[in-house]
Amino acid sequence: MIKIALAGNPNSGKTTLFNAITGKTEYVGNWPGVTVEKKEANLKREFKSYSLTGEGHGHGHGSQHDHGSQHGHGHVHGHHHGAGERKHQVRVVDLPGAYSLAPYTSEEAIARDFVTGESPDVLINIIDASSLERSLFFTTQLLELNIPLVIALNKQDLVKRKGNVIDTERLAALLQCSIVEVVANTGEGLKTLTAAAITSAGRKTQPAPEFAGRGSLTEDLDRQSYVRQLTDAVLKRGRNANELTVSDRVDRIVAHTVFGLPIFGLIMWAIYALSINGLGGWASGYLNDVLFAKIIPNAVNGFFERIGVHPLLQSLIVDGAIGGVGAVLGFLPLIMVLFFLLALLEDSGYMARVAVVMDRYFKRIGLSGKSMIPMIVGTGCSIPGIMASRTIEDENERKVTIILTPFVPCGAKLPIIALFSAVFFPGQTWVFPSMYVIAGALIIMGGLLLKNIFPFQSSSTFIIELPEYRLPSLKHALSQMYRQAKAFIIKASTIILVMNTLVWFMQTYSWSLHVVEDPSASVLATIGSIIAPLLIPLGFAGWQAAAATLTGFIAKENVVSTFAIVLSASDDALMSTASPLVNLFTPVAAFAYLIFNLFTPPCFAAIGAMNAEIGGRKWLARAIFFQLTVGYTLAMLITQLGTLILYGHLAAGAIPAAVIFISIIAVGIYLIRKNRNQSLPGGQ
Amino acid sequence: MALSEAKVGRLMEIAQVNGPEKIRKFLMTLGCFEGENITLISVLAGNYIVAVKDSRYAIDRKMAQAILLV
Repeated sequence: MIKIALAGNPNSGKTTLFNAITGKTEYVGNWPGVTVEKKEANLKREFKSYSLTGEGHGHGHGSQHDHGSQHGHGHVHGHHHGAGERKHQVRVVDLPGAYSLAPYTSEEAIARDFVTGESPDVLINIIDASSLERSLFFTTQLLELNIPLVIALNKQDLVKRKGNVIDTERLAALLQCSIVEVVANTGEGLKTLTAAAITSAGRKTQPAPEFAGRGSLTEDLDRQSYVRQLTDAVLKRGRNANELTVSDRVDRIVAHTVFGLPIFGLIMWAIYALSINGLGGWASGYLNDVLFAKIIPNAVNGFFERIGVHPLLQSLIVDGAIGGVGAVLGFLPLIMVLFFLLALLEDSGYMARVAVVMDRYFKRIGLSGKSMIPMIVGTGCSIPGIMASRTIEDENERKVTIILTPFVPCGAKLPIIALFSAVFFPGQTWVFPSMYVIAGALIIMGGLLLKNIFPFQSSSTFIIELPEYRLPSLKHALSQMYRQAKAFIIKASTIILVMNTLVWFMQTYSWSLHVVEDPSASVLATIGSIIAPLLIPLGFAGWQAAAATLTGFIAKENVVSTFAIVLSASDDALMSTASPLVNLFTPVAAFAYLIFNLFTPPCFAAIGAMNAEIGGRKWLARAIFFQLTVGYTLAMLITQLGTLILYGHLAAGAIPAAVIFISIIAVGIYLIRKNRNQSLPGGQ
Repeated sequence: MALSEAKVGRLMEIAQVNGPEKIRKFLMTLGCFEGENITLISVLAGNYIVAVKDSRYAIDRKMAQAILLV
């Protein structure tokens, strides 16, 4: 087996290349630090041929060059398939980006540990040709590892746009390694690259570059001057790098001190409006109200009645499986449109600018603009969002970011918002944006609170590379959309389906395993009733709401599907203004319920990610307790104050609510005082 | 003069980089060290956009104050 590792600077195109040669669809975005863990996959069969096919421009050196001329265009495919196939399995490992072998952040350390500790057979060093000099610093370090190295020179289009020329052949000779020009986005040159990598792997050794001062105290400086000589020898600059580019001009608008934030708000609003009220919302409405509510159940019911299936089995399949999973799958178009648009935005290079714009606000709560990246990723799913916190160098900032990131409504929470806004606030477009505004407010207030509760000595320094803007690729956006859609369908047909079946059983049977006439005597009702009293101060009456919240911790989509199952007695569609949901909630309580499910701790999988990243059970417990308190308090305040102001009377549970609220405030003040007293004498 | 006081659009030479060693080392790998060129491209939202070796970076005020120019 041959193991190829992809190494290079952040945002040089490693994951794009990885996806292209393995057929995977890993998360790609045009900003530094998208990949924070190593990923492995087999090389696609079409890339396994040993011969150079003449596609792309391969500039070989030494033995590799000879190889190239031996094989030429002729006997390309075939001689390598068959018996040797297994033996010649090729694994490709995608690594997080790094600027050097001396890591600055924890995800850089992953790359370092892999290339130095797990001895891959060959390294593909991806170089962003438009930052050749900076990239070569890392390249010269990689060349010293005595692992055969092939350079993939990516983004040559940007170099040419700048009017620069790189003498690839000369560079290959100077560094004593093969260089292949590639365009990772279109796949150009990739067959030549993989062929060169496989050939080089057989070489086993790699000569290190020779420069004065290697191993000395001033090694970094000496390496830099060596890299400068190299660059001067091979790069002809057509234009001064300091001239104002189009990107710089765009930055002056979108990262403007005053307009930066409103522009970001407007862009996000437009994306959500297009997804939810546009095509995505329309298609989801059709699927929910017609396909999964009428057509499919009617057809299946008719079929079962004709063949005479037991009514209980019929109910399990129609009400449990189809009703529950359908309620979630109905939101697929909405999610697909959303992720398509987000992928276009990410690909443009704008997201790094958002971090710049947000830096000021995050500084106030002891964080930096770097914390914005996990939160943007968190709009899709909290798990990669939480993992993206690895790019934050400061440990305290990382912990706070991990605690705050799940407040960003993830893709799985969208069906809950969509359901409740369609039922209780039809035609009112403020509900969706309000969730993101509340999320933003909670992040700021939560950050302030955490800063005052725990002794944080934040050292927040902020630095981020700004990639050049580019026209977003439609192909890229479609593949990212496909990735999300696939994950959503898999989740719906596995974990959500299983959970729905379970919910159906628990609400159909009593503890003595008898079918119940009245669902309130069921297993589910008794479990729901245990925590239901805790929810009375929040205005949520009945076991159904409690049960839906509980199943939501398995996966947030379950909130919707559980309601679909437990309320299936009614003929009205779940997602309509005549929904049986209106019997459970007043509009104020419905809004509070939405808040409660969005801003309490995330699903178990995300809690698992928090556990892995936050550094210790103690911090995990603090995080969950904090998130639970925030969500609970906010939902309670909305119900109690909203009922009083809008309906003119006290809500149920007003007195316990007041007691709980006062206790939470008291505990908060106590914790802040305790922290102040602790940090004063020992502080700086 | 610190980078935070530099004039926009003028090619400058770095005299010294201050601050914690970890950050200085990191800046060094990016090509931001004594004797190298740096250009302040713009000041946006409290951050300093700089050009170092063909790339653009946004750095905050604290870091911009730690980079001294000739």
